[in-house]
Order: sequence, then structure tokens, then C-alpha cells
Amino acid sequence: MRKQASALAVATLVAIGAIGVSACGSDDKSSSGGGSTSGGEAKKGGSIRIGSVLPDSYDPVLLQTIQGNQALQLVYTGLVTYKHVEGAAGAELIPGLAEALPTISADRKTYTFKLRPNLKYSVGSAVKASDFEHTIKRLLFLGGPFSSFSTVIKGAVEYQKAEKADADISGITADDATGEIKVELTAPDGKFLFAIALVSAAPTPAAKSPFKRSNSMPGLGPYTIDIKNPTREFVLTKTPGFDIPGIANGNIDTITVVKETVTKMTQDVIDNKLDYMTEDPTGGLLPEVKAKYSNRFRMDPNPPNTYWFFMNETLKPFDKLEARQAVNYAIDSRALQRIFGGRLQPSCNFLPPAYARIGYKKIDPCPYGDPAGPPNLAKARELVEKSGYKGMSVTVWGNTKDPRPAIVDYLRDTLNEIGFKAKTKLLDQQVYFGTIGTKKTNAQIGFTDWYQDFPHPADFIEPNLSAKAVESTPTFNFQFKSNPKIDAGLKKLGGEADPATVADEWAELDRAIIEDANGAVYGNELASSFFSERMDFENCSGVHPVYRSDWSLFCLK
Amino acid sequence: MAIEPAAELATAVPEAIVAEGGGTRVAGLAPWRIALRRLRRNRTALAFGALFVVIAGMCLAAPIYAEQVAHTDQFKNHLLEQITIDGVKRDVVSPSGVAIGPTYTGRFLLGADGNGRDIAVRLLYGGRTSLMIGLSAAPLTMLLAIVVGMLAGFHRGWVDAIISRALEIIWSFPVVLLGVALGTALALGGLKIGPLQIDGESELIPILIIAVIYVPYLARPVRGQVLALREKEFVEAARAQGAGSLRIMFSEILPNLSSTIVVFFPLIVANAILLEAALSFLGAGVRPPNPSWGTMISEGVDRIVTGPHLTIVPGIMLVLAVLALNVFGDGVRDAFDPRAKVRVKHR
Repeated sequence: MRKQASALAVATLVAIGAIGVSACGSDDKSSSGGGSTSGGEAKKGGSIRIGSVLPDSYDPVLLQTIQGNQALQLVYTGLVTYKHVEGAAGAELIPGLAEALPTISADRKTYTFKLRPNLKYSVGSAVKASDFEHTIKRLLFLGGPFSSFSTVIKGAVEYQKAEKADADISGITADDATGEIKVELTAPDGKFLFAIALVSAAPTPAAKSPFKRSNSMPGLGPYTIDIKNPTREFVLTKTPGFDIPGIANGNIDTITVVKETVTKMTQDVIDNKLDYMTEDPTGGLLPEVKAKYSNRFRMDPNPPNTYWFFMNETLKPFDKLEARQAVNYAIDSRALQRIFGGRLQPSCNFLPPAYARIGYKKIDPCPYGDPAGPPNLAKARELVEKSGYKGMSVTVWGNTKDPRPAIVDYLRDTLNEIGFKAKTKLLDQQVYFGTIGTKKTNAQIGFTDWYQDFPHPADFIEPNLSAKAVESTPTFNFQFKSNPKIDAGLKKLGGEADPATVADEWAELDRAIIEDANGAVYGNELASSFFSERMDFENCSGVHPVYRSDWSLFCLK
Repeated sequence: MAIEPAAELATAVPEAIVAEGGGTRVAGLAPWRIALRRLRRNRTALAFGALFVVIAGMCLAAPIYAEQVAHTDQFKNHLLEQITIDGVKRDVVSPSGVAIGPTYTGRFLLGADGNGRDIAVRLLYGGRTSLMIGLSAAPLTMLLAIVVGMLAGFHRGWVDAIISRALEIIWSFPVVLLGVALGTALALGGLKIGPLQIDGESELIPILIIAVIYVPYLARPVRGQVLALREKEFVEAARAQGAGSLRIMFSEILPNLSSTIVVFFPLIVANAILLEAALSFLGAGVRPPNPSWGTMISEGVDRIVTGPHLTIVPGIMLVLAVLALNVFGDGVRDAFDPRAKVRVKHR
């Protein structure tokens, strides 16, 4: 998912290797009391204030941003969920409301879950197996941002087409008496379980979950939410008696989340008026924060992401390999690093380094030179000459969110240096991706990025580079063409339940993307965590590969 | 053609001149000469007029400064370059993204922005853009306003009704809101009217938007004046001699609007520059990477804590240019519309 629409999400080193680990078996001692910390014992209790741009939606099936996911994952728990521990292990799937990870049929098309007994929502009503089907129906009916991940369920497409809330999804069978939930897929899909672990698939009581946007649905999680003002403030309070093995029940008693501008929240964290901020310190303040407050500031590659320049392969000049290669040779990640305020890790892989266990293998040497070294402008000019498109007008597309205008201007300057005649076109970020993803816009080249929805290589490759993605309008495949090697690879590897078992093949696919110059990758952005002096930064920074930061792991000194 | 100084000067000019204490005889001087004489006596207005000329001159000299002194252009990124200051090599943009501050030397006199572009060079080029848009939009506004104002005032009836309602529709929108709406809508697809095709990135877009938005602000007073002028004896005389509507409008009425036009022009230019800056600040005016004072202020906002000069310097230039035009415009108004001055004195 795009950053601004950002995501759930995140990194994974270990991801699927842990699928076989049972919830009870994976419990560490601290998790039942407050989640795993970096080392020392987490202090319990207290209240904190967090500055945020606030969730895009308080309805779990409709939220899309990481700010929404960070907060609501504490309120709504799925049948399976991600482990509440810091570091790479946080990408492991563990049982949530289900008593164990599902049993998967031999043909990998049927998943069987069983609810834990005697679960109750925050309002006191019992959790039913049929609530899961109701949630998937809401997700599909309301067209939530993550609904596409559920269309692999048998009957889901038909349900969507019927446009009737009470229609049936034939692939889901739920037995309220036994708590058994059986989900049949139309085809094996290795991504399915990861998608089910998202907040958008967390069961909510059918009786209180209407088929329209709602801010007041009860859930079952370590915290309950009280929305004071949807655009100003909400409060998370620990759920009394919450005790699901393996799921942290939170250290902090009350978390108040308030809306502020990034500049103000940065200053407020510096002044200890806020205890944490969901955003990265604003560009101008970042160097000061890094230098003066290093004892409460850190940077991590969470959520896993990739930044690259797309090149429309159906339009001149990027219909020719030489032109695309020229751009790759000309990009200087050292310059872009400065634009990112030092928060860019140069790379030429399409898959992020956090995917080391499931498909990332550093491409070394990179076909276009060391990504952390100087560019080869002479070679780039030669290739532009060879392409026959020297002097051609090129429009570089980008959006207005800082620092993207600067990134786009850098590319314009670079394209001019290698022989094109480039100009820029900036759009508001709210309409940017939809506009360039429409074929008739004819966007030639420009800024794009991808932030993980869930820890699986296909989450990066399929929406951005596949033939299937080109079919949708708007599409995220801004190349408007697919590489046959990629489509074949996705077909072969996509159904594997555990991408780690075919990690080398994912890595080969990654290499093919780069060698065929289906984009010009320049690196991965580091996200920051900045805390007040009150917070126990050493032991409870809560850096999590899926949620970016897991607030249930936060604690005071 | 008949210029109508008599009615105005017979009452206003002697009073005004006397009020200025000279008791000077002015009989026999043309109204323009009287106005210029008044303007010459207004030292404050002349000083600010000169300030505007200096600012405009500096901006016009931008290419010379960029090439001969700063050795760059308005667009060139210097992200990885180093410059030597007092024998010490310094990054134009540090690895952590901090741009160099003012060096007070030829290169990066006022520092660099996040892309390592020379602020001083962009400031001068930005001034060219802002002034060019202001000075282009204002005459277009005047032209449109005079035409529609004269048509409405002269023909009255249904012509007046249609034009007045159209002007009221434009007037009913807040200026910036309408500008942002039009600027955003036209930025993507540009403007296509028959054979006329303007690219969305073109500076003609903000010129047209600003010109159209300010039409009611001038057209309405013009219409009011024309309504009065069309009843004057010299118009009746021209009509009696067989002059047609067009001839009366352009030969009899238009010359009598000249003082209004002259008074409004600097004020419209100042407002146009200000609106351009506001639209560019909001992303609906000049499109990056083209510099204008508005876009430069916008680009500097994110770094206002660590690099306040990025915002303050273009802000100061904008204030000076608009202030200079406004004070000069006030002086012109005082010179050409003495009654306004009398009214002020009677308060």
C-alpha cells in the first residue's frame, strides 16, 4: 500500500517460519502481562499522550492508514494476529480469537479455525463464529481498502456482485455451537492467512455492526476505544480482565491520542508535552532531534517499504529497455538520501531487506552500479543516445507531500543531464495515485512507493508489477505492462503457504525485475520513533514490524 | 472627443489645491498635469514607487546574477556539491539533509534549499515570475473590466442585468477560494477553449485566473461611472451629431474613465501579486519547480524552525513589493482623485 494511505504493516524477517508455532507455545512470560520488551521488566500503569494525524477511519473494515491500524489493532483482534513483540518476531502469525492456527487442507484451499471458548466482546456479548462471516460480508459490501484480499474466498465475488448485505458467502461456514469456522478458497493463496490477521477481518458482533460506516462497534482487544471527537481526540483504556494467551494486554492504563500538526507534535515531544508521535519529525527538526535527543529517538526500516521511479513501458521513451536502463544508471541514491534527511537506505532490490527470510537476497553487484555509490552518467547518456530518444520531452509526475516534490525535482534535473527534456507535474497526494494509475493520463515517469500490507513478497510484486494489476482501473502497475517472468513467477509461487520455503525463487523474481528495469529502485525509507523523557525508551520502544509501533508494549520509566 | 474635467475640477481641484496651502493658481493646466504635479509633491509615494522599480530591476537582472555571480540557474540541484567558505569545505546539503545557510558570498548568498538550489537566484527569478504575473494579470483585468463595465453601464437593460449578475457570481466567492478551485481544476488538464490550448503547468493559467477574479472589483465602479457619464451633455451632443454606440463609448466615455483606470492599476497589480503568492503557497498558482515568492514561502514552511530565512526572505520581498505598489497607488489616487483626499481631510 502507498505510504500516505499507508498501512498495516510491516516487516518481516521471520514471518512465516513461525506459522507452525502455537499460541500457547509461543507465549513469553511478559506477554500475558504486557507484551515482550527489549530487555528489562516493563513498568505497569500510568497514562500517556500521543500526537497523531489520527486514523482515516475508526471502522476497522474501512481503515487504511498505519495510524488507524496502530490504534485499532488494540481494540479489535482477529482469528489470527501478529505476535506482540518487538523486532522481527513481531511478523509471526499467532492465534488470536481462534484457539490455534487453522488446519489447512491438503489442497491448501480449505482453512478451519476454532474459536476460543467463552470469549466476550467489550460490551459483554459472546463472540460467535458467525460474527467472522458477518465481518467479511461488511468488508466486501462496504468495499473496504483490504476487501480485495478476501475475494479469493469461494462465493465472495458473487456476494459482491449481488450487492445484498444478507446474501450468502458460500465459502464460509460458521457453527456458533461449536465455534468452528471453515473457509474455502477458490485457489490456494499463500497471502490469505496474512490478510485474515489484519484488523479489517477481526470479528465484531453482528448485531452491532451495521452495513454502513460505524465508529461505535464493540470489539475484543486489550483496549477499548472512546472517541471524544473523531477529528480531534480519542482515548484507549485497558479492557478489564482481558486475558488471551499470547496477546499483550498493555502496560499503560490510558492512552490519549490527539491530533496535531507534525511540526507541533515534534516540538511537543521535545518539550515532553507528548509522550510519542506517530509521524516522523518534520524535515527541518529531524537533524536537531537526531543530534540532541538520541537517547529517546531511533530509526528502523518499519514498515518494510520500497521507493522507486515508475516508467510507463507503453509510452515513449520508456518503451525501450535502453531508456529505462539509462534512468537506473543515472540515479544517485546519495543525493536522494539527503532529500530524505538521511532516512533512506540505498538499495537496488525491489523487495525490502526485511524480507531476508522470505525472498530478499541482496543483488550484488547491482546491474547499474553500487546503489550507495556515484551514478554512471556517461553510460546513461550513451544509452539515451542509443535509444534514439535523446532530446525527447518527458514529464516527471509526483505529489505534493514532503519531500516528494524535492524527489521529483531531483529526477527532473537528472533526466535533463542525461539527454531528455524534462519537466515536472505535481498533484495533490489525495488524487495522485488514482490519476497516474489511469491509463489515459499517460504518465510517463514519476514517483512511487509501496509499504507492506502484510509480510509476503507477493504483497509487493503483485499489485505493482503483474498483468493482473494492469487490468484494474486505476492500477498500481504504473508500467501498464507486465513482465512475463513476473507473471509466471507469481503463478508458481503465489499459492505457497510459506514463502520462506521458496525464498530463493522469490529472490530470482526480484532480480528479474531489476535486470529488466521495470522501474528504477533507489532505496527503503527508515521510520522513526521519538519519545518523551517519561517513556522507558530502552525497554519499551515497541518497534513492531507490522504495526510500526505496538502501543501495548509501551511503558513508562 | 470631450474630456470632462470641468465638472470635477470646478469643484474639487481648487479646494484640494487650496487645502494644500499654496493658494496656487492652476487655471489653464490640464488635469493630467495637475495630477502629476500632485504626485511629484508626494515624496512618500515617489519613494515607494522608486522602491518598486528597484525591486523590479533586481528581478530583471536575475539571469545576469545567476550566470555571472552565482554560477548556477534557478533549477539546478547541487545536492552533492561542496563549496569552500573561508578555506573550509562545506556541503551544500549535508547527508542528514540540512541545507547550507547564508554564505554572504557570490555562491549561495542566501543559502540553499533542500534540493541544493541557490535561494538568492530563485528569489530573483521568483520575483520575475511574481511581478510578471501581477503585471500581466492587471492589464488583462483592466481590459476585461472596462469592456464589460462600459457595456453594462452604457446599454443598461438586459445587457446590464446579465453582466451584473455574472459579476456578482464571481464576487460572491472569496477571492482565494475561487482562485484555488480554478487553479486546481486547470492544473491537471490545462485550458482548452477552441483553438486556444494552455498547458496546466503554464504561467498563463494563474494570469488568467487572477485576471478574471478581479474583474468585478473594477468593472462595477466603471459601470457606475459610465451610468453617470452617459447622461452628460457631451454624450448627448455626440449622439445628436449621429455618433453610434461604439464611437460614443470609446471616443467620449473611455477618455473620461482614464483617471479611474490609472488609480486602480497599481492597486490591482499589488493585489494580483498578493493573490499569485497566496495561490502558489496553496499549490494552485505557479507550479514547482518554477520559483515564485509564494512557492518559495510554501517550500520553506517545513523548515521554518531550522531555516527561517527560507520563508522570511521571499516573504520580505513580497511585502516590500506589495507595500511599495500600495503606497504608490495611494499617491496616484490622491493625485488623480482629489475628492478622496478632501473626504479624508474632512474626517
